[in-house]
Amino acid sequence: MSTSMSTSDGALRTPWRPRWLAVVGIGAVVTAALTVWLGLWVTPPDEVQGNLARLLYIHPAVATVALYWAGGVALLGSLLYLWPRTRSFFWDRLAAAAVEVGAVFSALTLVTGSLWGRPVWGVWWTWDARLTSTALLLLLELGYLALRRVPADAHIRAKRCAVAAILIAIDVPIVHFSVDWWNTLHQSGTVLDPGFNLHVHGSMLWTMLLSFLAFTLIFVWLLAMRYRIEVLQDAVGDQELEVSLSERWNEDAELVGVGGGSGAPGGDEGGGS
Amino acid sequence: MSYVDAGYIVAIGGSFLYGLSLFLRRRRWERALSVQESTPDERPAVAECP
Repeated sequence: MSTSMSTSDGALRTPWRPRWLAVVGIGAVVTAALTVWLGLWVTPPDEVQGNLARLLYIHPAVATVALYWAGGVALLGSLLYLWPRTRSFFWDRLAAAAVEVGAVFSALTLVTGSLWGRPVWGVWWTWDARLTSTALLLLLELGYLALRRVPADAHIRAKRCAVAAILIAIDVPIVHFSVDWWNTLHQSGTVLDPGFNLHVHGSMLWTMLLSFLAFTLIFVWLLAMRYRIEVLQDAVGDQELEVSLSERWNEDAELVGVGGGSGAPGGDEGGGS
Repeated sequence: MSYVDAGYIVAIGGSFLYGLSLFLRRRRWERALSVQESTPDERPAVAECP
């Protein structure tokens, strides 16, 4: 039984500091800082919602990352792992990284949405279709992460997780269209309506677009970091397995030596394990 | 603190804290791998119990 995850251990020992990731990180910090500045101090208050509209420069961008970026990468990675021609642990690790980052952003979506809902709707939470399907998304992502911790052969674990990621992806269009399919307290599209007409204009629009860019860059940075951890975890796991196997073989060899080849127990098991 | 301030703190602060946790986790796994790969001679000395 092979559990090798084919990691290049030599490359793993060298410090991992790609230049593009530094550029993404700096870009994320700068655009996030600009979003905060524009969102809190530069843009005017909304005619209806007043200052509470400033939360809309944050919440839709966070939700976009949770739903479309994380969900999309997880689905793509899982499908490419399941497809025999493209099967590689790269795709499995990428999907796992995307689901964990997605879970964090799903939680942030629910909390920021709740902070907006309390003063506008008068409640922290309601069993509205959009909110409920988003909470379900978070639960599915947590389930995926739990499934990933269940001990199993690497390929079996990757297949199970790929199927779980597809289940997560099924919920994404449900979240997206929930405001159109059901009568919800949650408003429909914040930036665009179903007819692709803009709802937001001027400095409010630019601030919102900047926040989408900021959280997209934050997502890319987090995804790369989480992917790196997945590679390291697999490499450490592989090495632990090799050490365990070699220790077992040494024990068996010693037993065979002590028994003088007189059918010492475990002699056959060592070769088969 | 207003709801707006709280929302910005949660979103930006939450992303930052998660990023920090990933950075620390990455360092821990890199250290674990380097300790595992090093030969017994290269491993850092551990104080022996009396």
